[in-house]
Amino acid sequence: MAIRFEKVNFSYGAGTTLAQSILHDVTLEMPTGQVTAIVGQTGSGKSTLIQHINGLLKPTSGRVTIDNFELTHHTKEKELVKLRKSVGIAFQFPENQLFANTVLEDVMYAPVNFGATKSEAKLAAEHALTRTGVVRELWGKSPFELSGGQMRRVAMAGTLSSDPSVVVMDEPAAGLDPKGQGELLQLVLELKKLGKTIVIISHQMDHVIAVADHVVVMHEGRVVAQESPQILFNRDITWFKTMKLDLPKAGQLAEKLRDEGITLSRRPLTLNELADLINTEVSHE
Amino acid sequence: MTQAIKINNLKYTYDDKDTVFDDFNLEINAGQWLALVGHNGSGKSTLAKLILGLIEADNGTITVFGEQLRIDTVHHVREQIGMVFQNPDNQFVGATVADDVAFGLENKEMLSSDMPNVIDEALTIVGMQDFKDREPHMLSGGQKQRVALASVLALQPKIIILDEATAMLDPDGRATVMATLQDLKQRFGSELTLITITHDMNEAMLADRVVVINDGQLILDGAPSEVFSQYDVMHHNGLELPFVGELAVRLDPKPDGYLDERELIKWLSDLKK
Repeated sequence: MAIRFEKVNFSYGAGTTLAQSILHDVTLEMPTGQVTAIVGQTGSGKSTLIQHINGLLKPTSGRVTIDNFELTHHTKEKELVKLRKSVGIAFQFPENQLFANTVLEDVMYAPVNFGATKSEAKLAAEHALTRTGVVRELWGKSPFELSGGQMRRVAMAGTLSSDPSVVVMDEPAAGLDPKGQGELLQLVLELKKLGKTIVIISHQMDHVIAVADHVVVMHEGRVVAQESPQILFNRDITWFKTMKLDLPKAGQLAEKLRDEGITLSRRPLTLNELADLINTEVSHE
Repeated sequence: MTQAIKINNLKYTYDDKDTVFDDFNLEINAGQWLALVGHNGSGKSTLAKLILGLIEADNGTITVFGEQLRIDTVHHVREQIGMVFQNPDNQFVGATVADDVAFGLENKEMLSSDMPNVIDEALTIVGMQDFKDREPHMLSGGQKQRVALASVLALQPKIIILDEATAMLDPDGRATVMATLQDLKQRFGSELTLITITHDMNEAMLADRVVVINDGQLILDGAPSEVFSQYDVMHHNGLELPFVGELAVRLDPKPDGYLDERELIKWLSDLKK
C-alpha cells in the first residue's frame, strides 16, 4: 500500500492560543512493498508523522492517503477501523504495553479486536509468534516472566498478528543486544519479502543502511530530504552537521581518517566497505 | 586496596529451576569503574539485584565494604549503593526536578534547610542546575537519566550501579550521560565505585575494567583493551567489539591486539608512510 502525505500540517491544540505546531507542509511518499526509514533528531516530528499513518492523529490541514483511504481533518473516528486493521504500529519499547495473562492471549488480542473468531485469532497469533522467533514453550507463560528481548518479540508478534499490509515500527531495535538487533533487522527484511510496506524510525544509521530502500529526513517538523540511503549518505558532510544527523559509523570513521590525511576514494557506508577500501587503498597502495 | 564488593561462591536459581549463577566469584576494588557486559538474558541485571539484596542468593556471600549482605544488614548495605535503571520514565516522583532530588533526601531525614545546597550541588555535577524548576516529564531521555543520577548522587553513595541506563536513549542522550559518568570518575576518583551494566561496547570501553558474563559464568575479565582483543570469545558470547575493533579484525594486515580509535588511526597513518 502506497502512503502519501500531501501538505500535511499538524498542531497540538489547533485553534487555541496554546497551539503548538509540530509538522509543517509535509509532502512525501513511502513506496509500496519497500522499507522507508524516517530519521531526524529527537523532537523533529518523526513520532507525530507515523501516528498519521493509522489515524491516531489526523492532519490539522492537508491529507494522508494510505492506498485508497484518505485521512483528513474531517475523517470520522468510525471510518478509522478499516485503516487500523491494515496498518500495524509497534511503538518504542512496545513490551511496555504487554498486558495479557499469557503470551498467546496477548498476541491474539488484535485479531479478536478486529472481529476474528477465537480459533482464527489463535492460528494468526501462533503464526506471528513463530515469525518473530518466540519458541512454543513460551506461549503459555506470562509475558512478564520473559527477558527483555523475548518481550520485544512478543510485542512485535502482537503488531503482526492481524496481518497488516503496512507495518510501522518506532525504534524497533533500541535497547536490544547485538544479536537481538540483528534478528530484528532480519525480521524487517522478511516482512518486506512478504510484500508488506514497512516504515521504521531509527536513530541508528547503520540500521538504516542495512534495511532501508528509501529515507525520509525530518528536521524541525519539515521534510528536508527523501531519497535512497546511497544518495542521502553521500551528501556533503556539512549538511549532516546542520541537520544534526549522523553518518553510518563507517562514514564517520572515514571522515576522521580524512582529518588525519588518509583520504579514501569514496565514502564507505558499511563496515565491510570501509575495510575493503582501507585494504586496497591504504594498506596495499 | 579497599574492596568495594566481594562476591564469593554465589549460587542463585531462578524460579527454583533455572540456575543463573553457580559458584560465581567477583571482587571489585573501591574506586574502580567496572563495566559488566553480556547479552540480554546473560544474568547481568540479576547480579545487580543480588548485590542490592532485592533478591536473595541460594548460597554464597556478597560483601559490601566489609559488611556481609544479610537480612539484618541489607538496609545499611543499600544506603551505600545508588542505582539508575533503564527506563528514564519510571524513576520520577517529584513535580519539579529539584523536588525529585529532594525525595531521596527526605527519606534520609535530612533537615530541609540543608537540602537546597545538596540539591544544587548534585544537579550542578550532572549539568542540570538550570533545569531544577522544570517538570521532569518535559525533559529529554538523556536529561532525565542525568537527573536520576543527581538524585542518586545527592545521597552520597559509595557505589553507583547503572543498569542499561543509556539503552533507551538517542545517540545525543547517550553521549551526554557517558560524558557525565566520565566527569564523575574524575571528580570523585577512589571515593566512587561505578558499575555500568551494558551490552554497548562503546560504553564499556570507557571503564577501567570489563567483565563479560554469560549464563552466569565469568567469561572474560580485564582492561577493555585485553577483553576486546578476544574477538572470537566476544562473538561466541553474543557480543561485538567496539566499531574500530570490528574494523581491525577485517583489515589486512591487521594490528596486534585491540587498538582504540585514536590508536588505530595512528597505526593506519604509519602504515601509509
